[in-house]
Amino acid sequence: MSGDLVAVAVEEERCIGGGQCEMLEPEVFLLDDDEAISSVIGSGVLPRPRAEVVVHRCPGAAISIVEHPEASGTDG
Amino acid sequence: MSPTAVPAPILAPEIADPRLYLDGIPHERFARIRAIPGLAWHPYGDNGFWAVTRHADVRAVSRNPTVFSSAIGHTNLWDLEADALEARRSLIDTDAPDHTRLRRMVAGAFTPKNIRRWEDAVREITVELLDIFVAQGGGDWVDMVAAPLPIRVILAMLGVPVADAGYLVELSNYLVEGTGDTQSLPPDAFGNTTELRLLPFNSPASHALFEYGDEMRSKRRAEPRDDLVTHLVEAEAEGGRISRHEYRHLFHLLVFAGNETTRTAISHGAMALAANPDQWQRVLDDPELVEPATEEIIRWATPVLHMRRTAATDCELAGTPIAAGEKLVMWYGSANRDEAVFANPLRFDVGRRTSEHFAFGGGGPHLCLGAFLARLEVSVLLQEMAARRLFLEQLGEPVRVASNFVHGVLSVDMAPGGAS
Ligand code: HEM
Repeated sequence: MSGDLVAVAVEEERCIGGGQCEMLEPEVFLLDDDEAISSVIGSGVLPRPRAEVVVHRCPGAAISIVEHPEASGTDG
Repeated sequence: MSPTAVPAPILAPEIADPRLYLDGIPHERFARIRAIPGLAWHPYGDNGFWAVTRHADVRAVSRNPTVFSSAIGHTNLWDLEADALEARRSLIDTDAPDHTRLRRMVAGAFTPKNIRRWEDAVREITVELLDIFVAQGGGDWVDMVAAPLPIRVILAMLGVPVADAGYLVELSNYLVEGTGDTQSLPPDAFGNTTELRLLPFNSPASHALFEYGDEMRSKRRAEPRDDLVTHLVEAEAEGGRISRHEYRHLFHLLVFAGNETTRTAISHGAMALAANPDQWQRVLDDPELVEPATEEIIRWATPVLHMRRTAATDCELAGTPIAAGEKLVMWYGSANRDEAVFANPLRFDVGRRTSEHFAFGGGGPHLCLGAFLARLEVSVLLQEMAARRLFLEQLGEPVRVASNFVHGVLSVDMAPGGAS
């Protein structure tokens, strides 16, 4: 089931604005123009393997996969 | 000191002597260290450091900043006295929360989206430099292309007048000397009166760069503009979100890092393309290869050779116990030739599909601020060279910098060759 869509979340305090998420998944992450803090945009979901790459590459270890998106209200 | 309760660590072959790097990165020595189980210990000065050479270990150190600190000690392998450490501290030698605060001060300007806004400006400068290079039948590639391109771009971002680019390149060259054994400047150069050990790279050129930054600060205070210096000056004025010391050091770091590193990538990139015309032909045949070729050039060049961390607590890495206070030095040129990650690591291959090189750092919070800018500069240069079907022919050996910190090239003569 590697094609599963999963939701992702950014922990703001850990974000250093490294921009890896926006580089890898510009449709899901956007950095703000001032302090470059990342937030999830659009549907906020992507296939699990791609989400894992973003988690792996985030320099602040600020991104996580939300295992139960229903519970947090995101429509996965 | 190395731990006592465990067997004595294996000693690494010499990799810190700056003169070794006059012949390029000693890849064969690094390959030997990578093959040593655990971490190898490298004597250095009165003490020594753990040589972190494998890709996976560089990543582990980079991504665990609470254990592997940038603020205890600093991020170069040589030692500093406590007062020098404070006097010289910049963004790169901080841990959270200071790091997060300072980084956010500048990060907005360097996001992928905001860096793309500079593409036209980068292209204009690139075209101008390449046209001169071709019209003059070549010359010193560093002086004609590799040095002016990045410095003119970072100065435009900071808001520094183009007329001063030459002066700032000169200062940057002197700073690089400070990472090797020789300093050609007298201690009082540029009117410096500060003790050299209190200045970044022990260089009086740092004094000149601080002075220049201060002058910019006064100008932008009087007359704000839409540039990075104004942004920082306003942050300083607004309830001290950034201190005067922090401003001076950020300005210094942006000029140095924005200039020296990308210049090195462009210099080694040109040499690699000249030595591998078949690889350049692949890029000409398939413009989609500009992006992987850019990454390969940056991996190949590895412009920054090391960063250091200091263990904040007793810990372990790769099965080797590490005592609080010990130094770990990450060797990016080694991680970037790690056979566990890169097939045929000593081959220059523009078609590699992995961008997981560590030239911009091992993926932790200090990950290079200017990475997207550097990528933009290298990729626009490749596009414009491709548009001219410009092959490079290297004339003679490069003059390299004797440094274990920057993989610098002072000059290398190139001539434009025709399309094949
Ligand atoms: C090919 C070009 C470049 C290379 C190879 C490079 C390499 C690096 C490396 C290895 C680090 C340390 C990463 C770590 O400790 O994890 C770094 C940090 C940094 N780089 Fe670059 N760099 C390049 C271009 C630039 C440019 C163009 C700028 C322009 C602004 C820049 C600004 C910085 C800054 C400010 C830091 C400190 C970031 C922090 O501590 O949070 N670099 N760079």
